[in-house]
Amino acid sequence: MRKLEEVLKDWEAVIGLEIHAELTTLDTKMFCGCKLEFGAEPNTHTCPVCLGMPGALPVPNRAAIESIVLAGLATNCDIEKHSMFYRKTYMYPDMSKNYQTTQGPVAFCMRGHLDLDVDGAAAKERIDLDGLDVGESRGNATRTETGYTAHVGITRIHMEEDAGKMVHIGGGEGRIAGATHSLVDYNRAGTPLTELVTEPDLRTPEEARLFMQKLRQIYLALGISDCSMEEGSMRCDGNVSLRRRGAKEFGVKTELKNMNSFKNLHDGLAYEICRQAEVLEEGGQIFQETRHWDPSAKRTIVMRVKETADDYRLFPDPDLAPYDLTDEWIESVRAKLPELPDQKAARFEDAFSLTPYDARHLVEHRATADFFEACMELAGADAAKLAKPVANLVINDVTAYLNAHEGTELADTPLTPARAVALVRLTAADAISSKQAKEVFAAILDEDKDPDAVVRERGMEQVSDTGAIEAVVDAVLAANPDKVEQYRGGKTGLIGFFVGQCMKEMRGQGNPKVINELLASKLSS
Amino acid sequence: MAASPAFGAMGARAIRAGLVAKEFSAREIAESSLARIDAANKDLHAFLETTEQLALDQAAKVDAAVAAGELDACGLLAGVPVAFKDNMNLEGTHTTCSSKMLENYVSPFTATCVARTIEAGGIPLGKLNMDEFAFGSSTETSAFGPTKNPWDLSRVPGGSSGGSAAAVAAGLATVTLGSDTGGSIRQPGSFCGTVAVKPTYGVVSRYGVVAFGSSLDQVGPFTRSVEDAALAMNAIAGRDVLDCTSQDVSVDFTANLAEGVRGMRIGVVPAFMEAQGLTPEVKAKVEEAAEHLRALGAELVEVDLPNAQAAMSAYYVLGPCEAFSNLARFDSVRYGYCDPGHADLNSQYEASRAAGFGPETRRRVMLGSYLLSAGVYDKYYYPAQQVRTLITQDYARAYEQVDCILAPVSPRTSFKFGEVSDPTDMYLSDMFTISINIAGNGGMSLPVGLGADTHLPVGVQLISPAFKDENMLRAAAALETVYGPAPVAPAYADGKAGE
Amino acid sequence: MTQHVTEHDVRDIAEYTRIGLTDEEVARMTVDLNAIIDSLRPITEYDLEGVEPTFHPIGGLSNVMREDVEEPSFTQEVALENAPKQQDGCFLIPSILGEGGDR
Repeated sequence: MRKLEEVLKDWEAVIGLEIHAELTTLDTKMFCGCKLEFGAEPNTHTCPVCLGMPGALPVPNRAAIESIVLAGLATNCDIEKHSMFYRKTYMYPDMSKNYQTTQGPVAFCMRGHLDLDVDGAAAKERIDLDGLDVGESRGNATRTETGYTAHVGITRIHMEEDAGKMVHIGGGEGRIAGATHSLVDYNRAGTPLTELVTEPDLRTPEEARLFMQKLRQIYLALGISDCSMEEGSMRCDGNVSLRRRGAKEFGVKTELKNMNSFKNLHDGLAYEICRQAEVLEEGGQIFQETRHWDPSAKRTIVMRVKETADDYRLFPDPDLAPYDLTDEWIESVRAKLPELPDQKAARFEDAFSLTPYDARHLVEHRATADFFEACMELAGADAAKLAKPVANLVINDVTAYLNAHEGTELADTPLTPARAVALVRLTAADAISSKQAKEVFAAILDEDKDPDAVVRERGMEQVSDTGAIEAVVDAVLAANPDKVEQYRGGKTGLIGFFVGQCMKEMRGQGNPKVINELLASKLSS
Repeated sequence: MAASPAFGAMGARAIRAGLVAKEFSAREIAESSLARIDAANKDLHAFLETTEQLALDQAAKVDAAVAAGELDACGLLAGVPVAFKDNMNLEGTHTTCSSKMLENYVSPFTATCVARTIEAGGIPLGKLNMDEFAFGSSTETSAFGPTKNPWDLSRVPGGSSGGSAAAVAAGLATVTLGSDTGGSIRQPGSFCGTVAVKPTYGVVSRYGVVAFGSSLDQVGPFTRSVEDAALAMNAIAGRDVLDCTSQDVSVDFTANLAEGVRGMRIGVVPAFMEAQGLTPEVKAKVEEAAEHLRALGAELVEVDLPNAQAAMSAYYVLGPCEAFSNLARFDSVRYGYCDPGHADLNSQYEASRAAGFGPETRRRVMLGSYLLSAGVYDKYYYPAQQVRTLITQDYARAYEQVDCILAPVSPRTSFKFGEVSDPTDMYLSDMFTISINIAGNGGMSLPVGLGADTHLPVGVQLISPAFKDENMLRAAAALETVYGPAPVAPAYADGKAGE
Repeated sequence: MTQHVTEHDVRDIAEYTRIGLTDEEVARMTVDLNAIIDSLRPITEYDLEGVEPTFHPIGGLSNVMREDVEEPSFTQEVALENAPKQQDGCFLIPSILGEGGDR
């Protein structure tokens, strides 16, 4: 199989996503008062409604409807005032009524969009934008200084309920194939579930990954879901087809499942694009089928061939009253919208003169954005001066630390905004070197100490006193007359040697800037 | 046991008076009623299960209230023998829907209408036979054998709430609850000669009542007097947070019963009276009732329901579609019949549903599945919902002129077992009742004596505007002053049964 | 009478609704369904141009919701009380794919 970059030169990938998110931050299920809780004893969060007992009736959770309207408003959707719940027949044991209560042709949220900023390595998959000037558009992408912006349409976000969970026994590794029987737990059945469907506007696996990432940031900012891809509270399916560069007609698409991490989403789509290209290039045919991404085997495998369109016998659910939302109500929900990541990034750029890149990365996580803001507040009058070094600390050091310590939340570490500001102040005042700053940063986290204390205990205070340094400089020059001679004869590279000698004398605590200045002036005189 | 009064043959007012005067205790009511059921049910087969313990526990509560002089706090139906159609969940009892599918299902929760009846002080005697999942008009589709008509044991009690009608007609209970999707309360009420009320859709909660057609189903009472029906309505009506389609009802249904019909405008539908299949004896009874209403001071007005003739086909689209979906949950996994010995789920599904569902249930489920399938939906389901709009508008227009409409309930009196075997012929039983379910407004059957030809009970139908159920009860109460309260079927009158 | 559904269609519907029918039952059901569907003809002959459907016969009722407040749930024992088969606190079902099935 050819590599993705090669394939994308000849083929354009057309990708659409279906993203499910459970509204895990609510207290109860979609249509009954059973508690939402992951990992409880099987079937202990069940009642007549979510077990589909005969005679039980659903009553929608108001907070769930508010949540999905928030999601719609945050993704630039039109909020439909008139919509209904439908029944979608789905005879499968994890669906207790054997139909799913979901929405019909009209969902609460329709016709939205998100813009994705793609830059760096991520932009490289989009080979068709070569030669565009900044501000110029091709397809649904617009060239920017650092990459491009992709405009991605959102078809709809609708409200539905999740299914129960099954464990398959006897098939090896819990697989359904070969299983002799299965166990059903309905604790998850009826969990409020939103499904967002994009237009087929994505062109690369990177765009798909970034879309998912951005949507996750928005949902987290809205506080409507914990968006755990591991626990399955946020899940993504992809539809992929290929067409020759320049072609208008869509190819046959396959549906890809089990992409339960950002990496799997990217890799699964990348594999599927390459697989389809190979089949097509060898004169073969793509079948409309559902495929499963196997991350360990690094390939997609067929789950189900769709010979005909599924017939879900969809019809309006007579048990649920229709919705007739008022402008007033929609506005009352809009008033609850928190600052969204894009808005926050723009504010950071504006208020603290950060680059778009820094601002975007700061707001990637709510915790880092909040941390940065707390630091700026503590910085007070110095906020403008300290913004860039604090941003660097957060984006580079803090992120690296958190990545290395999986499962650790920033709030649970000894690094408080006050300590971060103190550390940055030390560096900004040249009290410690940037190399020492790294050591102090590590010590704060490992030993739970204030930066000033670390510096004091380790005798790290940088000496910037010109008098003290001058004495050392003079001594070093006096001790190396031959080198001084060579320097003055043109071997200026020796400056490093002199700096090193001075630092050695001062056990690393001399301010390199002052040393450099003094050396330069004395050697040139 | 010494002969006790047939409490089930008494009205709620008489029972209350007797309790207050300490002529008898609630325990006597419970024990005597259970004994009568035990004796009568061998022939009638109205009850599928009796609830001795629940009855005795409830009787003890009522007796304690009597002793404390607090009977009023006990509720509107204190000490009244009550029973429920077997599609109503009552915790700890079987709720079979007269289907093999649910033969062993034990309810883990209680339907709101049942809970309210018991909260009102009713003594729960048991669960009543019906057509399987309410699909039928005769109780002949019950998997446990049909209920018989107390007026003539060779005849059907009507259906689907045949057990509920028969129990009241035989004086085994004062109030029973049934459900009506296309006529399933009113038609058996007519066949057995009881007052039978299908309230406006949304007046009574459907929570806990096993669904047939969710947009059509409505729960209502069977009684032998209009006053008891109004009392029962007071007990069960009103908004239930567990049913989104239930609505606030702040009406005392007994309030205007004594007002008479003077000044009321009552509609008659000429097309109904000329309908093919309407038997002369039923027609004569409706005309007679109309004359009585006129004599009592009502103004009779002819009204037109031009689209009512489409109600039958709309109903046989909507009912099966909703039933198909509602019955999808019976799959042998969480409850219900599970055919043993299957190694794969699909064969367990197919065998369990084939063996668990009777022929009429299978027909309705499969019909509904067909009607909702891609391409077919637009031909039947969607137009049926449009027709519903037209029928609703018809009624709304008629109610601009009248307060209530008088019509036949069933085109004929009760038929013999096996007499109507073709499903489409059976469906005609509901020709005068169905349009009311389609539009959602209230309708009731009031017994007006026996037919001239068959000497079997005949009911007339009174139909109210939506959420004006008090109108039909008022007209019914006026007619009742002429016809008298419904008698217990002669074979069961005066405690004859159980001796 | 018009043939609305063939025996083949009826087999498909039986499969969809998971009702196992014998050949004889399929034949009988085909006759019954055709008769019933035939009786529905009035619906197909109505002039319904511009008529809105009424999916909910409840007047102007809309936006009926509950608050996000926890209510008591069943215990595991009660949840499973009617289960034909159970294991480890769960409902037990036989192989979903069946012999040699894959998906």
